[in-house]
Amino acid sequence: MIEINRRKLLVASAVLATGGLVLSTVPAQAFSPHSEVGVTNSSIKLGVTLPMTGAASPGYNKLPSAMKAYFDYVNANGGVNGRQITLVVKDDQYVPTLAVAKTNELILKDKVFALLAPLGTANVKAVAASVNPGRRGIPTLFVNTGYSGFANKKAYPTTFTLLPSYIVEAKIIAQYISENFAGKKIGLLYQDDDFGSDALAGFKQAGLTFTVKVPYASGTQALPTVPPTWIQKLSAANVDVVILFGVSSATAAALGTAAVMKYAPKWILGSVGGDATTIKAVGVPAGVLYGATGASFLPATTDNADEYVKLFTTINAKYNNNAVFDNNVMVGMNTAYVAVQALAAAGKNLTRKGLIAAIEKSGAKFASAGLVPLNFSTTSHVGYSGYWFGTYGPSGDLKPNGGVYTVYTTDSGTGAVVKSTYKRPAMPADGLPTQS
Amino acid sequence: MKKTRILSILTASALVSMVVVGIPSAAHAAGPQCDGKSPINSCQGATSDTAPYVMQVPANFNGTLVLYSHGYRPNVPVPAGIPGYGGYTVTNTPQPGPLVGGKDTSVIAYLLGHGYAVAGSGFARQGWNADSAIATDVELIGAFKTQFPATKHVVAWGESLGGFITQGLAEKYPTLIDAVAPMCVADNVAAELTMAGDFLWGVKTLFDPTIKGGNYSAGAAGYAEAMGDLVKFFTVMGKLQAGISSGAWPDTSSATGKALATAGIPSRSALLLLGLMSGIPTQSAHFDSISGPDGALKVTFPLAVSPALAILENGANAGALAILALQDVENQSGGAIFDNTKTDYAARVTNERVIFNAALSGNTAIDGLLGALSPLNPGAPRASGNAAAIAKMNSLQANTGKINVPTITMVGVADPITPVGSSVRIAQAFADQYAGEKAKAYSDYAKSHEYNAPKKNLLSLWSTTPAAYTTFTSAGAPITSTPAAPGTNHCNFTAAQYLVVADELVQAGQTGSFLGGGTLAFMVRKAKNLSTDPFFNAPLLKFYE
Repeated sequence: MIEINRRKLLVASAVLATGGLVLSTVPAQAFSPHSEVGVTNSSIKLGVTLPMTGAASPGYNKLPSAMKAYFDYVNANGGVNGRQITLVVKDDQYVPTLAVAKTNELILKDKVFALLAPLGTANVKAVAASVNPGRRGIPTLFVNTGYSGFANKKAYPTTFTLLPSYIVEAKIIAQYISENFAGKKIGLLYQDDDFGSDALAGFKQAGLTFTVKVPYASGTQALPTVPPTWIQKLSAANVDVVILFGVSSATAAALGTAAVMKYAPKWILGSVGGDATTIKAVGVPAGVLYGATGASFLPATTDNADEYVKLFTTINAKYNNNAVFDNNVMVGMNTAYVAVQALAAAGKNLTRKGLIAAIEKSGAKFASAGLVPLNFSTTSHVGYSGYWFGTYGPSGDLKPNGGVYTVYTTDSGTGAVVKSTYKRPAMPADGLPTQS
Repeated sequence: MKKTRILSILTASALVSMVVVGIPSAAHAAGPQCDGKSPINSCQGATSDTAPYVMQVPANFNGTLVLYSHGYRPNVPVPAGIPGYGGYTVTNTPQPGPLVGGKDTSVIAYLLGHGYAVAGSGFARQGWNADSAIATDVELIGAFKTQFPATKHVVAWGESLGGFITQGLAEKYPTLIDAVAPMCVADNVAAELTMAGDFLWGVKTLFDPTIKGGNYSAGAAGYAEAMGDLVKFFTVMGKLQAGISSGAWPDTSSATGKALATAGIPSRSALLLLGLMSGIPTQSAHFDSISGPDGALKVTFPLAVSPALAILENGANAGALAILALQDVENQSGGAIFDNTKTDYAARVTNERVIFNAALSGNTAIDGLLGALSPLNPGAPRASGNAAAIAKMNSLQANTGKINVPTITMVGVADPITPVGSSVRIAQAFADQYAGEKAKAYSDYAKSHEYNAPKKNLLSLWSTTPAAYTTFTSAGAPITSTPAAPGTNHCNFTAAQYLVVADELVQAGQTGSFLGGGTLAFMVRKAKNLSTDPFFNAPLLKFYE
């Protein structure tokens, strides 16, 4: 009886406090002091799973240290609303089932506030199906995969993408081909999973047809052993242009084998595979990239005139042991940069719901190094949606064609590919977000 | 990868719960005969359906009876020599509580030592017997109360089919029961046999078309067909294991299977797909789908091989269940009950084909496999059920998941016989029920200004697997001689885990509330490999998709 009377008292208080009957606020627990998991007055704990060891790790294993470097820079400048950011890193070796186990650790043992930039389509999908951050209300920020499905807010309510989708990339590559290689015979090497199927959907949407398509099975991202058969198929089809829409190891294997077999079509590389760091790590000289066309949504890493490149280079020197400043470092720092924008926008009373709401409300206006706009809104969890094209130099650096970033943008649906008129806003002072 | 031994893989888990207490199996429709001994007064008897039962009552009986319902026992003997079940004979020996590892009576002793009485029936018939077993349990409760009028509370628990019986008892007779604990609870018969039947159909269709796979003849002929299927099933599973590394297909494969082999699709990918489309867990007693041996296979093994080995281990249980239970339920229903004429296997693996893409050998291979299994392929004939028989099967006891009394569930997250989805279904049903009760409480509050919060009457315990548990020899071969990992195999609980359930069950039965907060957290932590994660989620059985 005592328990019932106490409840009645609390309920009566609730009515008085709100000045009216708001049924959803009736339960007594509404009066409990609230503290969000992974957040204290002085800290915010984030977590990431990605391959730190194993065949898939080269390149990707540079992302956490780059993210941490930017967080360290922010922390040294007062943090976000007075809170220092920590990043817990778990090695999933690019194995989906291991990503599930490691994400469970992050959530149940490390008790992170949010997941940041988990990597790999299959891994993120496995985590969504098993750990289900969406049901738990845990933000999954800026997944490191371009699979278009993750922007489906209904299926992944707490997930936000950052990379342009593979559909967007394929549509833009198709546009580039129509402008530069009209009438030529086109070949395609692609990964035979959702990564590749997304690309196929984009090429189909854009109306690009192929003389030959060569799928390869996804795997560990170790250097494949069968590229001669790929090259033989491409060569036999006598194509003029070959799109390599695969991971870096497959790209390296294809280019390396083609060089040995003296097969030299015009190569166009997808953004995932055209990474010199990874290609070198699997034992193939980065020079195989020389002359190929590639795509990016961030400024070129060699563009020292770009204020973000300057900032990130400085941070890299001070907080990241002056690691080789490649696109992985750029992506890592930019991801952390956008994450800090989001955390700041969520305000001092940081909650998971508040963070998601802040990205939906203000995310489209977040400053970032991206040369294409962010598309966050209450109805869209889509990040970037565009690319510029460039040519790889002898050391594997990608520079914009003609020295100018000509950015194309589109969506993952039926929208047309257009040249972007987006003007990137000026970087906030010292590259630090405005605190709320 | 080194070959592992087929028998070590195929030694099935505790599908059959055996009894260690020495109770005669002779059944009479008679009241209990008690020996009157102290400190434990042991009684035997039989309910009116001739089901033998046992009661054990301590001298310091505290008024609470803990009634146990045992799991599925095949209702036919299995000849010696058949892996897993060979030498099994049908028994209706009563069992008054769970046996740790199939023989350890320490949990029963714990209850008796704390003043609780225990009882259990052997049931009048074996096989899928929920309807008659529930009636038996009701009669047993009455017999106990008559014999021991000091009884104040009755709580019930059970495992596997016994968990289903226990849940059914609470759904049908909530006033008889104060709290229940369905452990590793079976789902409704149609859902269970769909899972097992899908896997068996896939094995037959791809790997050995001479397997009958259901629609068994009546009587002795049907029994012989089922036993023949068991032999063929385990034989082909052995061949699949031998070909795990090379991807070789069994020599008994169908024309459809051989065409897939010719297309370069490894048999392990086909086996994995059958497991995924059936809803069989991809972690098993010895394969975590996470670990790899040091060296070149460190990542390749968990990515491409381990999930198939897990399906092999778990599928051995599922296939055997399919054969034994199909024959049983077909006999009860009067005809074929497995029907996959309208099953869309492609839709069932929408997520799985992405997550296990590498092990399935890529989209082209997956599409090839699904195409081969589609109804459009005359080389993969679907199984048609008998409408009247299916209707009769569906008239058997079906649980809704409605929670009438405080309920504790516990299940291994990788249980291959009663997948975790069965318990998730109960949790989801209760979430809906609770939301409805909460809405009503708000509505009532608006009228009476008295808010009576609904009770959270469900405690879900998840027996989790270790972070990683596959071990390897120095040569890199997986070791399968070790005990099954926690969270795997069927009803594979430790004594400590059972005791968490026991303590919660009697507490809830006596007070109407669970031990919660720090007490529960301490108990769970002490028991190890147990979680109360309120957000734990897993797919329901594929039958519900």
